[in-house]
Amino acid sequence: MIVKKPSVNACIIDNNNTYVYGFKKLISLKDLNSQVSHFNNGSEAIIHLKDPLNINNLPDVIFLDISMPIMDGWEFINKFAEIKSQLGKKISIYILTASVDVNDVERAKNISEISEYIFKPMAKQRLMQIFDSLQTDIARQ
Amino acid sequence: MSFSEDKFSDDSRLHLAQIIDNVNAGIWEYNINTRSIKWSAGFYTILGYEPGEIECSNHLFFEHLLYHQDKLVFLNALNSQSQHADQPVQIRLLTKSSGYHWFESTIKKHDVRDGQVVYGSIININAYKQAELQSAHKDQLYGDTIRIAKLGSWEIEATTLNLTLSKQMYDIYELQAEVKLTLDEVISFFEPSYRPVIQNAINNALEFCQPYDLELMLRTAKNNVIWVRAKGVPIINDYGKCISVRGILQDIDNNKRKGLSLESSLNLLTDQNRRLQNFAYIVSHNLRSHTGNLQFMVNLYEETEVAEDRDEIFSHIKSISGSLNATIEHLNEIVKIQTEITNERSVIDFETLFRNIQSAIKNNIDALNARIEYDFSKCPQISYIPAYMESILQNLLTNALKYSHPDRQPVIKCYTLKDRNHIYLIFEDNGIGIDLERYGDKVFGMYKTFHQNPDAKGIGLFITRNQIEALGGTIKVESTVNIGTKFTIRLV
Repeated sequence: MIVKKPSVNACIIDNNNTYVYGFKKLISLKDLNSQVSHFNNGSEAIIHLKDPLNINNLPDVIFLDISMPIMDGWEFINKFAEIKSQLGKKISIYILTASVDVNDVERAKNISEISEYIFKPMAKQRLMQIFDSLQTDIARQ
Repeated sequence: MSFSEDKFSDDSRLHLAQIIDNVNAGIWEYNINTRSIKWSAGFYTILGYEPGEIECSNHLFFEHLLYHQDKLVFLNALNSQSQHADQPVQIRLLTKSSGYHWFESTIKKHDVRDGQVVYGSIININAYKQAELQSAHKDQLYGDTIRIAKLGSWEIEATTLNLTLSKQMYDIYELQAEVKLTLDEVISFFEPSYRPVIQNAINNALEFCQPYDLELMLRTAKNNVIWVRAKGVPIINDYGKCISVRGILQDIDNNKRKGLSLESSLNLLTDQNRRLQNFAYIVSHNLRSHTGNLQFMVNLYEETEVAEDRDEIFSHIKSISGSLNATIEHLNEIVKIQTEITNERSVIDFETLFRNIQSAIKNNIDALNARIEYDFSKCPQISYIPAYMESILQNLLTNALKYSHPDRQPVIKCYTLKDRNHIYLIFEDNGIGIDLERYGDKVFGMYKTFHQNPDAKGIGLFITRNQIEALGGTIKVESTVNIGTKFTIRLV
């Protein structure tokens, strides 16, 4: 019996349009049954998350870049920590960045909101693993 | 032989002789006519001999006991014509067992029946003489030391503010030592900015008994500006009140200047290191981001067989190739800054160059209806690397236009300033500003963009800063969001 896997609501916050294109393309090519929203920086994403109209359309997972204008990844996480209790939904955050700076890696380790720190570009196997476990989680709920 | 002759009774002569023999001094007598010589027992004793142990003779005295360099002194004293030449003479005599000692002898002349007698008493002054020599040596040493250390000493009397200065103080001030100076005059030699510092320190020492230790700049009477260390310690009375301030003034110019140049080298190195690190970061981050994307797209290309997908992916590969090229170009520009440092500088006319740049970006200026004001009258020209200056002016001008405020006419002011040692270039705009509290030092970082401006590449200010710093200048930014931004550049 084939059970249709549940849909994953994913979100990518990154100002590198080429990467975002590739990310979305990979998800669609791999048939990961997911809708992907995209924000150019942390500020846009916070506005989206806080908007009550989006209460039923909140992401299950956020892939977050660090270096962005207006509001970078770190600032986003601070803001996110402030509002997450009001969101009423468990949202996993993965750092997805080209930064190999050890300071960034260390910093991420000390932030409880962050599930994992992943270097760009992400291997497709890893992406599929993440989606797989997300779908298991969602199915359980 | 003994001193018992004539004048006195036998008893008193004997008594006198005993006294003479027992004093802790030697007595000698020399008859010029008969050339006969007499020594008291004490004479032998002070030289460390038993009386009679050595032969009492002129020959022995002059050739054996008297130090050869002191012969002349002694003979001169003997032959002195004056009857009352009481001046004692200091000579070295060889003692029995402890080498030469210093002795002092009186020399008196006395006429007797059979001619003229010279006599004197002699005492050992070795300890005193040693101390004197040692003290003279110490004085010499002290004098040399403070001269070598360039150390002047001074004292201010608390009630009268009367000033006592050592000779070295005048040397440091390069003044004639005779000049009497008041406290105000002494302070007036310090460079203007240091005068209140030393004045306060002295006041605090006098009033609150606070010692001080300062490094200050002083302009000497010969117009040399030197670094000095000024140290003062209050001297207090039994009631704890300051009665005077004593201190030193030391010429530390050499060391201080070495220290300062070391400090500036260190700053330069730290700066260069920071730029190098930034460069390494750029290479690792920015190139990595492009190559990562490239790898990503190539993998994606292999994932699909659909022609449209492949076309789309390929167009992205092309755009990555373009970005990669642009980044390499930027890196090249940065490397070029370092290699162009040695390029020849020439005299640049600010106004000519600025007008050239203005006309080159005229379209841009007109499109925004920007008002551009300049005033280079304070410093019309500078010796600089022309390519740098052109790039600096162009970057700052296009930057000001790029971040102009959408609600008002852009007003950009550019002017130069000059003080004693430096030339400044100022750029002011009424644009959207930068939140410096948030971004601070990142303003001049590479690929740091703070606004969602599609033209923002985050390279201009990075290059500008590198060019300015490569020639030893600095760039500072002040900004208020929605009000405007001001760049202050110290060019040289």
